[in-house]
Amino acid sequence: MNNNSIVTNIIVSGVGGQGSILTSHLLAEAALIEGHEVKLAETFGAATRGGSVYAHVRVGEVWAPMMREDEADAVISLEPLEGLRVGLKFLKPGGSAIINTHPWYPVDVTVGRAKYPSISTIIDAFRKINANIHCIDATSLALEAGDSRAVNSVVLGGLIALDILPITRESIFTAMSEKWKEKLVRINEKAFDLGFDYIKSII
Amino acid sequence: MNKVSNPPAGKKMVLLGNEAIARGAIEAGVKVVTAYPGTPSSEIVETLLECSQDLGFYAEWSVNEKVSFEVSIGASLMGVRALTALKGAGLNVIMDMLMTIPYTGTRGGFVLVVADDPGAHYSSNEQDSRFAAQWANLLCLEPESQQEAKEMTKAAFEFSERLELPVIVRSATRLSHCSGVVEIGNIEGSQMEPGFNKHYKLPFRWNVYGPPGTEGKHIWQLNQLTYIRELVDKIKFNQVEKGSSPVAIISSGMGTAYSREAVRELKQNGNLWFVKIGTPYPLPEEKLIPVLQNCKKILVVEDGDPLIETQLRVLAQQKGISVKLFGKTGEGVLQLHGELTTDKVVSALAKVLDLKLPNDDARKAVKTKLEALVPPRSSTLCAGCPHLGSYWAIKKALISGKENVPVVNGDIGCYEQAGYGVKGVVPETNELPSVRYSSKLPYDFLDTLHIMGSGISLAQGEARSGIETGQYWAVAGDSTFFHSCMPGLVNAVWNGTKITFVVMDNSWTSMTGHQVCPATGLNPRNQTTKIIPIEDVAKSLGIEFIEVVDPYDLAETGEAMKRASAFDGPSVVIARRECVLQVLRREGKQQPKTSVDNDRCTGCKTCLQLGCPAITFNDKKAGIDGLLCVNCGMCAQICPVKAIVEEKA
Repeated sequence: MNNNSIVTNIIVSGVGGQGSILTSHLLAEAALIEGHEVKLAETFGAATRGGSVYAHVRVGEVWAPMMREDEADAVISLEPLEGLRVGLKFLKPGGSAIINTHPWYPVDVTVGRAKYPSISTIIDAFRKINANIHCIDATSLALEAGDSRAVNSVVLGGLIALDILPITRESIFTAMSEKWKEKLVRINEKAFDLGFDYIKSII
Repeated sequence: MNKVSNPPAGKKMVLLGNEAIARGAIEAGVKVVTAYPGTPSSEIVETLLECSQDLGFYAEWSVNEKVSFEVSIGASLMGVRALTALKGAGLNVIMDMLMTIPYTGTRGGFVLVVADDPGAHYSSNEQDSRFAAQWANLLCLEPESQQEAKEMTKAAFEFSERLELPVIVRSATRLSHCSGVVEIGNIEGSQMEPGFNKHYKLPFRWNVYGPPGTEGKHIWQLNQLTYIRELVDKIKFNQVEKGSSPVAIISSGMGTAYSREAVRELKQNGNLWFVKIGTPYPLPEEKLIPVLQNCKKILVVEDGDPLIETQLRVLAQQKGISVKLFGKTGEGVLQLHGELTTDKVVSALAKVLDLKLPNDDARKAVKTKLEALVPPRSSTLCAGCPHLGSYWAIKKALISGKENVPVVNGDIGCYEQAGYGVKGVVPETNELPSVRYSSKLPYDFLDTLHIMGSGISLAQGEARSGIETGQYWAVAGDSTFFHSCMPGLVNAVWNGTKITFVVMDNSWTSMTGHQVCPATGLNPRNQTTKIIPIEDVAKSLGIEFIEVVDPYDLAETGEAMKRASAFDGPSVVIARRECVLQVLRREGKQQPKTSVDNDRCTGCKTCLQLGCPAITFNDKKAGIDGLLCVNCGMCAQICPVKAIVEEKA
């Protein structure tokens, strides 16, 4: 049976409008389908679009919806900078990060008030906090699956490939089919598998 | 149809705290539900609206919180169960009625849900609304989980009927906007027979002045408080677990969730007394006296201000018990600002227990250094947001000259982002009486920003200060106009005060999730209804200068702003264009047609001043992000060298 005393902490991050919250809900629904306890915390700024967004998903017996600092087993991010932002705060030593490499520049960078770190700087930063960092061009894989918006499913596939969660591919697909129409489910399943296979091939 | 309208009893679902509260109301057989949207409470009534037609109860978005509260109270007086949900700031709008209704009481179960926002994720203050319960002498329940949120809401209706008073359920962002597993229960109703009786149980029951008069009704209410105190000592939501050592942790709401984590983290299970308070006001005193007597040290964990802590100090003093209380007053092991977290509670508990936490300074130092690499992501308006055009036009209409200091007063809605500033950029301050600042982006444009409806009245005071070197502007959205700007507008007309009021009418209550409002053309049950035109309202209130413009047309909008501010009296400009997100949702996103001609672009950055997130700037040239651009055409209008071009189809 399910062992709820083992707690797995995941963060999904991105920019408002990319689907991080939706992804976290898919994870939580899939956890429930498999009979686990689950808590989900959504954090979003005031902006509907364009702000930093992250969601904590905690599988197992927990009470607080948000994990502590240095407690995340994995961070998956639909945008590189947002992955770094939450990764630095929440990833535990030895935790894993899966980062989509396609940046979404903040207005602060556009107007020249801040500098966007290069992908190699981001990778380096993750290594300095003893994290396993995996980069993925999820934006291209999502296009290959048939819809640029399926970035979240690519990254989600990558997370399941890490094999750190008591959640199967099938439960994720069941959760998807409870939310979406069949055509959308097919695209997202394909995106999921592309992400899954890619991460499997590099770890 | 909504997922919580009709799931079978016993089913387990992942529900948002707000959905769990909605389900609790459904299981209690609620008949009338009202609210004005306010983050983080909006999904409660949003969910109930989606269930109302299937389940046969009435739900509405009301024009503001005061109206909403009174509509629901009216239903309760008729003997049916009713609920109002609001955010902390919304509670302030109902305070007049909230302080008076306990004198006459309620009949059908009445539940007021208040969702506070410790940490001010979405709010203009961090107020602790539980104090309203203490002020008004009402029972306050505070759930620690989504499951309990559902159960407490359901029970609150029954408590309300038993006590004949409103019951407050206090939520917080981390409950309302977090999800957990909730087991669905049966729908049960009230046994009460609806109807209206003027002298129900007491003379002139629903009239605070009717004999025996206001003081007599106050005496009735204070007597009810003794029943509330009896009730809270009996209910399951207050629990005391004894521990083996004379130390207790007493917590409520989300504080209880963090306390459970902290006790596990510090391996104190069974060692500490664990007291879970479900009723922060009033406290279950009979249950708590043995805790005070048996413990030498007590840590109080509550999100917000020290309500439980101060009541415990009073109780200990009354009973002559000497116990060391730790919390937010006195030694202050927890802060009075910000939200609680497990980390904060772990370190507070460690202090109380004199435990040393593992030292992770080296890792912290590495992280701090790396954090410097992470640029902020300031909040922006959306690509193609009509408000960008309105702000551009107002900026162009401001009088020039250093000695002139116009004041632009903000209000609450998406357009308040013009007051958020750019993250990490804190302006230098000085002590000069009057300074004019230039503002390149729309995001540091607003000069004042507080609460709904405040801008239009602040502008009048500024205009009446006798300082004539400025123009006095106020902005508000359509939903905010109907919520609380109309009295301010009447005041300006009546007193003849010269202000310029810009209504950014985008047809929706966008910021809280695109709820309908009187400018939408739909009622809250999604039926077509007439739009209440803001220009007609303004005209009927006596405004003599009214212009309606399209904020995508920057030149036209700018000219209208100039004419309005030159008008000798209160003037109104209505910048009308539907919220671009709603247009995209309905019509889908078109292929981007706008691009920058690299040969023409001089890299002057004028376009960046529009503040549109679709405009990029790399290698000294502007660009357009095709994923974001909605072809609104505003940037093309402001480019001084016509380098931004729209491809003709």
